[in-house]
Amino acid sequence: MQDQEKLLEVTGLSTTFHKNGQDLPALRDVSFSVGRGEVLGLVGESGSGKSVTLRSIMGLARRYGQVSGQVRWKGSDLVAMPDRVLRHIQGREIAMIFQEPMTSLNPLLTVGLQLEETLRTHTDLSRAARRDRAVEMLDLVGIPSAAQRLKDYPHQFSGGMRQRVMIAIALAANPKLLLADEPTTALDVTIQAQILDLILRLAQDMDMGVVLVTHDLGVVAQTCDAVAVMYAGRIVEQGPVRDVLRAPQHPYTVGLMRSVPENLPPRTQLYSVPGVPPALDALPPGCAFAPRCTACVEACKLDRPPMTVITDQRQVACFNPMTKSQGNAA
Amino acid sequence: MTALMQIRDLHLRFPISRSIGDVVARRPGREVKALNGVSLDLIRGETLGVVGESGCGKSTLARCIVRLHTPSDGSIRFEGQDVFDGGYKADRSYNRRVQMMFQDPYSSLNPRMTTGQILAEALSVHNMRPEAQIPGRIAELLDLVRLPQDAQAKLPHEFSGGQRQRIAIARALAVEPEVLIADELVSALDVSVQAQVVNLLLDLQRELDLTILFVAHDLRLVRHVSNRVAVIYLGRIVEIGDSETLFSAPSHPYSQALLSAAPSLNPDDKGAVKRLEGELPSPLNMPSGCPFHVRCQHATDLCKTDTPALQSFEGRGEVACHHVEEINTHA
Repeated sequence: MQDQEKLLEVTGLSTTFHKNGQDLPALRDVSFSVGRGEVLGLVGESGSGKSVTLRSIMGLARRYGQVSGQVRWKGSDLVAMPDRVLRHIQGREIAMIFQEPMTSLNPLLTVGLQLEETLRTHTDLSRAARRDRAVEMLDLVGIPSAAQRLKDYPHQFSGGMRQRVMIAIALAANPKLLLADEPTTALDVTIQAQILDLILRLAQDMDMGVVLVTHDLGVVAQTCDAVAVMYAGRIVEQGPVRDVLRAPQHPYTVGLMRSVPENLPPRTQLYSVPGVPPALDALPPGCAFAPRCTACVEACKLDRPPMTVITDQRQVACFNPMTKSQGNAA
Repeated sequence: MTALMQIRDLHLRFPISRSIGDVVARRPGREVKALNGVSLDLIRGETLGVVGESGCGKSTLARCIVRLHTPSDGSIRFEGQDVFDGGYKADRSYNRRVQMMFQDPYSSLNPRMTTGQILAEALSVHNMRPEAQIPGRIAELLDLVRLPQDAQAKLPHEFSGGQRQRIAIARALAVEPEVLIADELVSALDVSVQAQVVNLLLDLQRELDLTILFVAHDLRLVRHVSNRVAVIYLGRIVEIGDSETLFSAPSHPYSQALLSAAPSLNPDDKGAVKRLEGELPSPLNMPSGCPFHVRCQHATDLCKTDTPALQSFEGRGEVACHHVEEINTHA
């Protein structure tokens, strides 16, 4: 996948919100790329900047904050692009699925209308062709008797089915990149497995890149090709899923993996990273993780560790990374 | 092993109000069958995990136990006493001895009461301490759940999700209960915070000899904290048994599917899992026979007509399935 041209390239993306005259750096110097058909997982705790990353790429964050850096998409920079031009890309080339299938559909419109609305905006299809395409899309995401269900309202669908409808709407215009913000967090494990399978299959069939935001390392292990771990608005470690989960190098990744109860004697104490994440208006001067870190050295308190390349695709931002033997081999 | 609480054949049906249309068309009133014959024993000092998909009746069961719902049929006995018996119901001591903790740390605490007031209220409602000793007891409780003393004067919005769940735990412990019902206590929290709250719960259980009913949908977590686990499907227990045995070798086809759906941390397991087709049927419209037969790949005609009873299966706990022996010898 290395030699392949990257679909999306994010370089030095920073987003700052302002509140009561204070700067809140929600995203600092985030860089990653996604290839065609590649699934990238973004993991981290709440408030680490996962969702803001997606919203900054999509151009949704700039209404509320200041976005800088570069988002290369097909030779142009989405950050610098005026809203008017960006609208042709939003929803058409880059689509987004939100976390809550219960609230992201309009409860007053039928599902068919909401699907066709997307098609009317983003394609030149005729009315009849739009309807056919809507049925086709619902069929594709596995909704039984699709033609009849077009007339149904969102409340007539279950949570899993609503998320399928959301995916159908997102994919209706054949996007090249899908940004999925915790698409399965509100769903049961059995339904989660079905939805993730669906996203994976569609990504493969349509040669679409996917950025999947989640806080579940299990989901990452089972669906993603690459993973980026975020902490306090920065990516602290990234690389191929297998390498990162097998031998995490950043102490935060190690801590995150250790707090998942797997392969542990029952009813023993779980590991938990000491302390709490810093508030955005009180970030430490050095590494944001330093106050909670067990491997903290003097340099961590003074300087922000830069992202360093370890092997071809592995990167870690840490002055004192863990060696393989210290990692928790899953 | 003495059962502290015995739940026998618990049924709970919620009638749905008939619309004008139903009355005109003389359609009979419908009801949601939330619980359909749940029987289980809660043993003193154990943690019993309850797992299942949303809508299967996990929370309803928890709410029945603390008498927030009155069952349509069946009984719950606590130390041999029927808890829904008129005389016993008037006695508030059961409410004190069995405490519930709720899922949402943001809506289960009164936003206008400080932590101190919340705890003081719990203490005075059940006359746990004379007025003069209440401040001292509050300080003790905050220590117990590892919150700083200055938390007393703060309002719930000043705390994070994990800290709020600690307040909820302190409130439950204020009345010195014997049984804690934890309904998705840590589901809304991040993994590392989850770990802290779970550790606290395990410590407290040891220190105070508590019996815990742990309702959750996170299977890894339930496996970790429970001694025994019950798997619920559409208001029925389909399998119950020792936690390690059940998780390492589930016997009921539903338990097998549910457990394999939990994403493993090992990237090499990718694509190797058995997927469960379809969704939970509506409890308005219960399938006949075994409720799982519509999604079960082993279902036969027998499953469509007869409801299997919960029976013990060769040292693996109890399973409600007609074909449990064939399924588990093939596998």
